[in-house]
Amino acid sequence: MSPGYTLVICEKPDAASRIADALSGGTARREQVDGTTVFRLSWKGEDFAVCAAQGHVYGVSDPFDERAVYPVFDVEWYSSDLVDEDASGAARRISAVKKLSVGASRFINACDYDVEGETIGFNLLRYACGGKEDVALRAKFSTLTAEDLLRSFDDLKPSEGSGLARAGRARHAIDFVWGVNLSRALSQAPLGAGHRYRTVSVGRVQGPTLGFLVERECEIREFVPVPYWKVSGTFEKDGREFVAAYSRDRVDSWSRAAEIRADCEGKDAVASSIRRGLAQIGPPVPFNIGDLQKEAFRAFGYTPSRTLELAEKLYLGALISYPRTGSQRLPPSINYHGILRGIGKMAGYSASVEELTRSELKPVQGEKVDPAHPAIHPTGENPRRPLGVAEASIFDLVIRRFLAAFGPSARREMVDVSLMVGEHEFGLRGGRTVFPGWMKYYGRYSGYRDVGLPRISEGDRFRVEGVSAEEKFEQRPSKFSQSSLLEKMENEGVGTKATRADIISTLVSRGYVSGESMEVSDLGLAVMEAMTQYAPSIVSTELTRGIEEKLGAVEKGIGKEGDLLRETVRSIASQVAELSANEEVVGRQIDVALVNIVSKAFALGRCPVCKTGELRIVTSRSTRKRFVGCSNYHSGCRASAPLPQRGKIRATPKPCERCSWPVVYVVAGRRPWKLCVNPSCPGRKRA
Amino acid sequence: MKCRVCGRESTADLCRYHGEAEERLRAAYPHWVRAYGGMKWKDYLDSVKRNPQTGQWAKEIAELLKGDSE
Repeated sequence: MSPGYTLVICEKPDAASRIADALSGGTARREQVDGTTVFRLSWKGEDFAVCAAQGHVYGVSDPFDERAVYPVFDVEWYSSDLVDEDASGAARRISAVKKLSVGASRFINACDYDVEGETIGFNLLRYACGGKEDVALRAKFSTLTAEDLLRSFDDLKPSEGSGLARAGRARHAIDFVWGVNLSRALSQAPLGAGHRYRTVSVGRVQGPTLGFLVERECEIREFVPVPYWKVSGTFEKDGREFVAAYSRDRVDSWSRAAEIRADCEGKDAVASSIRRGLAQIGPPVPFNIGDLQKEAFRAFGYTPSRTLELAEKLYLGALISYPRTGSQRLPPSINYHGILRGIGKMAGYSASVEELTRSELKPVQGEKVDPAHPAIHPTGENPRRPLGVAEASIFDLVIRRFLAAFGPSARREMVDVSLMVGEHEFGLRGGRTVFPGWMKYYGRYSGYRDVGLPRISEGDRFRVEGVSAEEKFEQRPSKFSQSSLLEKMENEGVGTKATRADIISTLVSRGYVSGESMEVSDLGLAVMEAMTQYAPSIVSTELTRGIEEKLGAVEKGIGKEGDLLRETVRSIASQVAELSANEEVVGRQIDVALVNIVSKAFALGRCPVCKTGELRIVTSRSTRKRFVGCSNYHSGCRASAPLPQRGKIRATPKPCERCSWPVVYVVAGRRPWKLCVNPSCPGRKRA
Repeated sequence: MKCRVCGRESTADLCRYHGEAEERLRAAYPHWVRAYGGMKWKDYLDSVKRNPQTGQWAKEIAELLKGDSE
């Protein structure tokens, strides 16, 4: 190993490969150091070694790591494989960086320029390279294109005392102290109440987020609808029929609805007022990560975490800019013309690019800014490999949003007509796009539809064909979708742009909420109930939002992480003590919820044989095989059925149409299949 | 004390969730009476129970109150 080279530390192997390619022009030599790929190259007469972490290779933990011990407030940084069993490669990567640092005379942190990236680089420079975090240089880039990378290496920045890394390390420490103490208190509680040990966790951002879900869930479950009637009329003019809504959205009694109908039938309506207007609709602002996640959910139904994962892949392929950005702005420095030239070479966009480049390029800008990165935009590079359907969808969405940002405002003509039948007013509404502007470039994502009306003048008469009164009921509040929950978190200042999607996934994986319907489980309710009763400030939006604001101040170099850590420890200590003092009650609440969950997971439906028992999944004590049995077994019901022994089994809400026995989903292999559990069912087959 | 409906720990005969659902159920009754020009309490409970928009806890309370009134 020759001394005097520059060691470049990247966040991920794909990024290391791209940086090595850009600096060497594709001539970098690969070698293995402790099983980790390292790129050797020369650039501008200097030798470089480019290596990569794999996300966080250091994590925080308490020195004792005893699940029964809490509170714990001493935390230290360890190799991630010691604190997280999924991070098995961390020790290898740390060892490689240690070896490489011995011969290095200069260090460059080339991890993603954000809190997490800065923390990853900082930790490797401090622990693996022997305290080089203050002397290392910083390569800042927002895309992995060769052009952007070369520019950043030509303009390396000195270490800025890294507020980002200090904030990142403080966030990890706070989240650990928070999570470990509350989780241990909640997990120990059933034990204290004489029940079995159960792992129950609650994190700093998880708490308030679960709070949003529980609040909505309660509104839904307590909801009592009230009836009302929706009145509408069918009108005829010159052989065309129109349906117009009654001026009041809801009529509160059946008798009033009948009166309106009786008053109008057989009469003519007169167009009494016509309001025409031209609405200017400006282009949507460029994407930050939250906007992209919401739009991808609306357009394709992708969850926020999936969209983030896909966007990360596109970024590592140098197809789009860094996605974990809060910015809604596209600065001229990204080179509008260059990007559009690249997009123009891709199939399907050339006509749009040609039109847009005929006039001055001035994109619409949003209000949100992010000093580290611009809004998400395409780089203009063509994919070097075929993209999967989902990746291609996100790529198309990012390109079209970028194109739309340069488009002119659209114009829509709106028409509102009042039709009077005596004292009763009905409203006809039409709208059409008269100038598509940016909508043309945004394509199918723009979401506006035309509703045409004929030319109508005041005084025109319409024949009343009929008036209907439809009985309706108030709708209960809708459940959060992953996308609307993300929006709520954003509006309430809970979590960060980089972590919100992961928090939602964690709530699902902890069993507090189901992933599909976002329905809160009994366990989620019990955890929230215990927390709001005994540790209310821990789950309050104010506390976690306050911490985010203070972490933001540390990022900017105007706050001290030590003060924040001390303040957080004080808050947690008092709340954990309160939980601990009420361990017995909390334990009972959580245990009841856990028993209910387990019981629901094994329940399949009503027994079609005895009609009163419940068929359940039972495991034989002697053979350890699972089968279906009736809860009335001890009262004499012998209904039973075999079950597949492999894969997961989930109940379905509807029993078999042919035999009334329960139908289950069997999830084994790639495709789940439906199965009526009755072995004698005439229709038994895989669905 | 345990909730009569779900068995949750509570300080009254209904937990706070089912207690709130009961309040809402009682508050909505006059609106139903006005909407249909009259309605018996039992018929109301039946209708609410059958309605797909009614929340789970409100349905459970409707069932309980119906049993109580029989």
